[in-house]
Amino acid sequence: MTGVDTGAARGPTLAARLGIDRSVTIAFGCILLILCGGALYSREFLSPEYLLQQLQVGAFLGIIASGAMMVILLGHIDLSIPWVVTLGAMMATAMVGWGGAAGVWLCIPFGVFCGAVVGVLNGLGVAYLRLPSMIFTLGMNAVVQGLMVLHTGGFAPLDQATPAMHFMAVQRSLFGIPNAVFVWALVGIFVIYVLKRTAFGRAVYAVGNRESAAYLSGVNTNRVLIGCFAFSGAMAAFAGVLLAGYSNKAYQNMGDAYLLPAIAAVVLGGTNILGGRGNYLGTIAGVILITLLQSILSVMQMPEAGRQVIYGCVIIAMLLIYGRGAKARS
Amino acid sequence: MSDRKPYLELKRISKRYGGVSALTEVDFSVYPGEIQAVLGENGAGKSTLIKIASGVTDPTEGEVFIEGRPVRFKSPTEAMRAGVVCVFQELSLLPEMTVADNLSIVDPPKWLGMIDAKGQRDRARALLKRVGCEDVHPLELVRNLPLSRRQMVEIAKALGRDPRILILDEATSALTADDVERVYGIIRDLKKSGVGILYVSHRMREIEALADTATVFRNGRKIETFTKGARSVDAIIEMMIGREVTHQYPPKPEPLDAKAEAGKPVALAAANLAWGREIQGVSFNLRKGEIVGLGGLDGQGQRELLLALFGVLKGVSGTVAVDGKPISLDGPRQAMHAPLPMALIPEDRKTEGLMLPMSVRDNMTLAALPRLLGRFGIDGDKENAAVQRMVDRLRVKTPNLDAPVSALSGGNQQKVVLAKWLMTAPGIILLNDPTRGIDVGTKQEIYRLMRELANQGAAILFYSTDYAELIGCCDRVLVVYDGKIRRELAGEALNERNLLQSALNIDASEQAA
Repeated sequence: MTGVDTGAARGPTLAARLGIDRSVTIAFGCILLILCGGALYSREFLSPEYLLQQLQVGAFLGIIASGAMMVILLGHIDLSIPWVVTLGAMMATAMVGWGGAAGVWLCIPFGVFCGAVVGVLNGLGVAYLRLPSMIFTLGMNAVVQGLMVLHTGGFAPLDQATPAMHFMAVQRSLFGIPNAVFVWALVGIFVIYVLKRTAFGRAVYAVGNRESAAYLSGVNTNRVLIGCFAFSGAMAAFAGVLLAGYSNKAYQNMGDAYLLPAIAAVVLGGTNILGGRGNYLGTIAGVILITLLQSILSVMQMPEAGRQVIYGCVIIAMLLIYGRGAKARS
Repeated sequence: MSDRKPYLELKRISKRYGGVSALTEVDFSVYPGEIQAVLGENGAGKSTLIKIASGVTDPTEGEVFIEGRPVRFKSPTEAMRAGVVCVFQELSLLPEMTVADNLSIVDPPKWLGMIDAKGQRDRARALLKRVGCEDVHPLELVRNLPLSRRQMVEIAKALGRDPRILILDEATSALTADDVERVYGIIRDLKKSGVGILYVSHRMREIEALADTATVFRNGRKIETFTKGARSVDAIIEMMIGREVTHQYPPKPEPLDAKAEAGKPVALAAANLAWGREIQGVSFNLRKGEIVGLGGLDGQGQRELLLALFGVLKGVSGTVAVDGKPISLDGPRQAMHAPLPMALIPEDRKTEGLMLPMSVRDNMTLAALPRLLGRFGIDGDKENAAVQRMVDRLRVKTPNLDAPVSALSGGNQQKVVLAKWLMTAPGIILLNDPTRGIDVGTKQEIYRLMRELANQGAAILFYSTDYAELIGCCDRVLVVYDGKIRRELAGEALNERNLLQSALNIDASEQAA
């Protein structure tokens, strides 16, 4: 305790105030490591074009992870992400056909809205029925899957993405930076604002740490739960809309590839899987890390099976490092 | 008794939890065929004694002997093998299993290495018959049984282990009158067959009816063991209280006469509050500027009463009016927005009061964030200033405002909880045993703070398990027994003797007779 005295007056360091803690440092360190390793393999890995491309791909994951992070901060989990992504894409593209001229304008909000509705249902189930989120959201995922199969008849829908969706997902308008990155940045700024500057954000951490204490302090815990699940659903659907713009159409199972990476990105970024601790900077690092890892493994022409094994092992290894660190601290 | 050897003997037993002594150099023995009552206030060391005897915890110092041989129990199972069986206050049954499974959980009858289901059923039937519970089917799930039946099954389970020493810790508290009689019968039968019985109860009459000898504990020390009838109830209570130098308390205002008292505005009026077994028709008034204590033995419904007033319990009947206006008991948020804002300092600061990993600042402002909003959300400067004011006012010792509360001492953690609620400027403050596990210095600061808040007009309802504290702090004390207010003590009448008597539900008149 003797060392604390000098720190007492100074307060937290700049790094701590920005949210740069151990796990964020490790995650960014790993990003550099991967880039250096890649550079040894091929110079291409350090070219701006390659990096921007990674950011564009990462933006979709980043938007999904933003929502997943809010739910994980509560100590819950949203396993309905895969089909809510698909739901967002299919509903947005279908809206073009349904709404005619207005549909072109309404398609993006409508897709996001559908995701938010699923999220609210998730939140209601967790908050009022007190069902474990792992089971409830898994069930919702299956329900949405069924509805989407019903909607499309099991085939890839013929609906096309609108130019606006294409614009947001694929095009570049400022300094050659993909628009998707700006979209992610806006989502990120919103999440940071909510978490740092609003009573709702404070309540998210409070509920994640100790729901009973938050409730006894007058926090509307059910509203917090529903709000976060709704946001997660909305963001998953929004990413689905963008993905539809990216590939110009919606298709079955388009969200399946995003569940594990989204959760992994959040957790690798230092957010406690049991809730209550984590900051958005870590999630950004996690998203970039996962994206680069996936990209480099595929560029190295590793067969799919090997990629999966390495990918899984890296996640487990990093969590082990974090876990040991946490134990050593306490 | 000197011609017989004790079956269970504890020699110079001490137990410390961290820095706190729960038992100090206790010698204690139980003879075969003896019913011994264990008496003492809350926290006198009775539970710790039982835990050591039944192998739940290790003593820090001292030795345990069974029939003169030293033993060291590593688990309750080992104690059971040695013949020491305990029926705990907290039920130890597995709710999702059948009665028969529960009764044979440790040593089920076996056939070819598999559990003999029929043998187990027969055994259960025989044991249930012994405790007079023939109406309970052996294949019924425990969770479907009412509390009183479960308690009887618990006793049957203990009997099934062929105890040489049977420990009953408040075993009759959940029982119906008929069952209590039956348990008495079982105890007397066991006594005849040479089983030693250790009996913990807060009911004086029960002890008079059953016990051969009684031992009084106080502050972790054994005071005396005596045979029944050797001491009057009066003398026993004297022994339980002891004479100790108490803490310093802030001066109380002069007690007002009845007329002036009635003229003070009522902050909170509760009428006929009821909730399950725990609260059975409670009515009282809490006036502005007054500290009212809730006394009585632990677990008589005081905690539930505070939770009910704060809207945490569901399905409370009765009415509560704050500042003359009826309020609904829908939850903490509603209570915080009552005509006079309410605040509850909860029982367990670690799980109900604080988010331990979060910072001092975040914990303190959680309940009052709406007051700290600027144009763009939470105003950081305003928040820091408000927190700093509270840290200074309550003298919270913390390295900085960003330190996690888990790094603070117990007393300072409790101050953070208090600060959180003071930030909401409450008019009615409900305190649920706020000084438990806190050092003496901080306790005194909390007493002073309470009086200061009362002098500023707050109404305070204060539950404590420490009688000295109630006497020192409160203007009057409501003594709760079995979910009802049995007596109100104020002025001269507010002393330890009266508190303990009414806590044990002994009428002064009855005692004189």
